[in-house]
Amino acid sequence: MAQNLQYFLIPFLQPEMMLLIWIGVFAGIWVGAIPGLSVTMAASLLISFTFSWDINSALALICGVFVGGVYGGAITAILINIPGAPAAIATAMDGYPLAQMGEAGKAIGLCTTVSVFASFVGIVVLAVAAPVIANFSLKFAPRDFFLLAVMGLLLIGSIGGGDPIKGITAGAVGVLLSMVGMDPSTGELRYTFGNLYLMAGISFVTAMIGLFGVSEALTQFRSSGMKSPKQNLDRIIPSWATFLKYLPLSLRSALLGVFIGALPGTGGDVAALLAYDQAKRSTKHPSRPFGKGALEGIIAPETANKGAIGGAFIPMLTLGIPGDAVTAIIIGALFIHGLKPGPMLMIETPHLFWMIVSCLSIASVALMVLGLISVKPFAKIIEIPKEIVMPVVIILSVIGTYAIQNSVVDIFYMIGFGIIGYFLRLYGYATGPMVLGLILGPMLDANYRRTMQGAENQILPFLQGFVTSPISLFLTLSIVFLLFSQTATYRRWRGLE
Amino acid sequence: MEESKEILAEGNAAEGAASLKDLSTFVPEAHRKPGELGIAAITFLIGALGYYFALDMTSGEYSSPSVFPKLASTVIMLCSAVNFFRAVKREKPEATAPSLARFLFPGDVVVVLCFLVVYCIALPKLHFVVSSFAFLALGMIYLQRGKHIVRALLVSAASLAVLVAVFRYLFLVILP
Repeated sequence: MAQNLQYFLIPFLQPEMMLLIWIGVFAGIWVGAIPGLSVTMAASLLISFTFSWDINSALALICGVFVGGVYGGAITAILINIPGAPAAIATAMDGYPLAQMGEAGKAIGLCTTVSVFASFVGIVVLAVAAPVIANFSLKFAPRDFFLLAVMGLLLIGSIGGGDPIKGITAGAVGVLLSMVGMDPSTGELRYTFGNLYLMAGISFVTAMIGLFGVSEALTQFRSSGMKSPKQNLDRIIPSWATFLKYLPLSLRSALLGVFIGALPGTGGDVAALLAYDQAKRSTKHPSRPFGKGALEGIIAPETANKGAIGGAFIPMLTLGIPGDAVTAIIIGALFIHGLKPGPMLMIETPHLFWMIVSCLSIASVALMVLGLISVKPFAKIIEIPKEIVMPVVIILSVIGTYAIQNSVVDIFYMIGFGIIGYFLRLYGYATGPMVLGLILGPMLDANYRRTMQGAENQILPFLQGFVTSPISLFLTLSIVFLLFSQTATYRRWRGLE
Repeated sequence: MEESKEILAEGNAAEGAASLKDLSTFVPEAHRKPGELGIAAITFLIGALGYYFALDMTSGEYSSPSVFPKLASTVIMLCSAVNFFRAVKREKPEATAPSLARFLFPGDVVVVLCFLVVYCIALPKLHFVVSSFAFLALGMIYLQRGKHIVRALLVSAASLAVLVAVFRYLFLVILP
């Protein structure tokens, strides 16, 4: 125990590491805030950058960027309705309406506070229960990932913009588009029409930037002459009463985030969407209706994606399996520095585990300070006339899209998605479900087919699996409950109508 | 006391928001919008084409690569049919409604889209700095109706300098 504490204190006793964590958080906030620039990209850049460094310093910087980057995605989601990262899509649903009411400062302040809380929840679970959760997450079969993806698709009811049929249409188009490219399990080409660019598939980040960024800019140009809302920046840090009021929701969503983050292959984006849906279904009296600036609609996704940070480290540090793309890159960094990530990592190099826990803790404190300091300047951005800010947003969208794989063709795709998103918005089709379909489509397809192959292409054994495995049964029942909870009978019974 | 102030502020803000029209949220209206039938027909066509091209994919087993493309295409066609008939049931667009072209492409949207397409075509030839400066400056000058030309030029140059400094030299991102 004393030894572990010693390891934990390493970054506290080295000013250089502390400084690197703070620099990482600061850079991460900006990287995360810009659509297209992802934490994954920043982490991979840092690998080459920190190649010759000591492993402790490299990890300190990467941990800082990770924490700051996941937070940064919410900033642009709230201010200009363009999520900086897929994990912030749900945050835009209620964050942007709040900014339109002049409450951007309050929204970002609340987002910062609950983010730090959730980040610590993730870190505590990582420190206390990592091996248990890691072993449990390994019991998830492809069938369970398929069920998780189905649960995610049910979100269309929450983010479909009020018309479920139009939401499902957009979601199904998203799923169809996600099928474009080479099928990862058979190598068969689907919807590529002999086009080389289509073989790699359509990046959902490109689609997200277009559907949210460019379509938002085009929609804004329809209402030229409308003044940007004046922001109220009197009180940006939420009161204790507000924090305590939302504590149960924050804790619930953060724990959901930790768990989803710990599942290999799923990360903060799925966690945030599921948490938003869960909050929408379970909150009887939201501060405002969901989709119109409910504080609960910011708290749930933001706490879930921060909880997922700690969660993503759980399988990585205990089993050597990455929880998400960033931890996969960190595994690469460990290999480069001569370490062997795997079940023996915690036994052979316990200092590494405790040092990462410590770096994440310091990064969370840095996030609190840097996040709150940045609220006012960030909120002021929204007061800049849109005739000036929107062309800059388009340029940012272009830079972000090009940065994904240095391809000009991606920019054309992005603009195409922007125009599609603009038309969809005009006719009441929300753009969120299409991005959701693009994100969840490959997860649905791959895991369904793996499960079916496991059942030797027989319907009965395939269906039996859903009730014979305890995890699958629990998830199946959850889906049935989620569907039932959308009925008028349930809503009347719960007093939600 | 602080809590009541917060609640009061929330109430005022909500009133302010009521005047904003959020295009991303569906609001049932008595009259259909110009082109609403068209968009339902287009989504149906996307579903039909999706299904048609999925017929060329390997099929025959429940785990074939064509299963999800066919499923998604079918869902699109069914939902589009529902959207189409729901739109048919509603009254025709109001007499005062703008024409389809005017509804889809008001002046500013057309101009910005043209700027955007020209910018993208020019990007590989003129490179990032020149083409982006032209896009920013022309966009800002047009959207401000020709006023504040010097300000637009200065803001374009300054924002571009910041973007290049941050992305190219700080984040080491390759620019188009």
